[in-house]
Amino acid sequence: MTTSNNIKDKFQLEIVSLTETFNEIVKKFKSLHSSITESYNKVPKATKQLDKINEQTEVATNQMLDKVEAITEREQDISGGLGEIEKLAKEGKDDEICELVVKLKSKSEINVADAYIIMDALQFQDITAQQMDHAASMLEDIESKLNDIVEALNASSAFPEKGGAYEKKIRIFDPHADLFEKKTEQREIDTMFDKVTKQKIE
Amino acid sequence: MANMKILAVDDSPTMRRIIVNTLKRAGFDDVIEANDGKEAMEKLKSEAIDFLITDWNMPEMDGLTLVTNLREDAKFKSLPILMVTTRSVKEDIVEALKAGVNNYIVKPFTPDTLKEKIDQVLSGQSK
Repeated sequence: MTTSNNIKDKFQLEIVSLTETFNEIVKKFKSLHSSITESYNKVPKATKQLDKINEQTEVATNQMLDKVEAITEREQDISGGLGEIEKLAKEGKDDEICELVVKLKSKSEINVADAYIIMDALQFQDITAQQMDHAASMLEDIESKLNDIVEALNASSAFPEKGGAYEKKIRIFDPHADLFEKKTEQREIDTMFDKVTKQKIE
Repeated sequence: MANMKILAVDDSPTMRRIIVNTLKRAGFDDVIEANDGKEAMEKLKSEAIDFLITDWNMPEMDGLTLVTNLREDAKFKSLPILMVTTRSVKEDIVEALKAGVNNYIVKPFTPDTLKEKIDQVLSGQSK
């Protein structure tokens, strides 16, 4: 009878210990749940952000390529025209030279204007750089959450040493930076400032 | 007007280059640059600046803090300030307005918009 009671007590103690262990595991998983959910939610956001950068960079690059192609074409016309001028000058055809010079001057002016358009379009670099920083910061958050999970599970030994340790960059960016979509249009901003100025004057 | 000294503040070297080029095209030849609000403060204290163009998101000191600090200083209370930023959320624009910017442009901007806003600020009108 005593032996049977001893076995029963031992069994009960084991059950209690097992229950405690299970409770601990459940607690740990609950605490990890928010980290996992957050990381899980950030992955598609980061992917979407990277796709957006790709698209916007492609559009901006193509706009610039259009201009570069047009400039190159005009430059070829200008070069050909200069050869023509040389020929006409040798033949002493002054009126035709003047006419050609006017045409070439106009093409050259358009080229300068297009070059400025390209320069203005290069603003996309500042915007996509901020979008990249946004995506990178989301990926860094995921990395940090995953580190927390690994530490909480005391499982660091089960994972290989992190390759390429790096110093994290301080990232300052506008999460809404967009090349084509502005949350508030310039004319709306103008109205806001106009109102304030009018109030100041009154 | 074209003789005035403009300080362009932006942490993006590309943006600074574009702004300086656009200003030069518009006839403003005297343009100096700063990488962030802190550097801008130093330049404003050591040089006579007539007009400030500043970005918002910058390291060390952001554009909004720069504007707030300047407006608290009697010496810079009436310095014309134009903010040129990617931030286009209405609440941000209101915040910039409250901090004391004279006008606001959302990037990307056209050279015409930049010139127009500078002219408006200088003439004391927002529009």
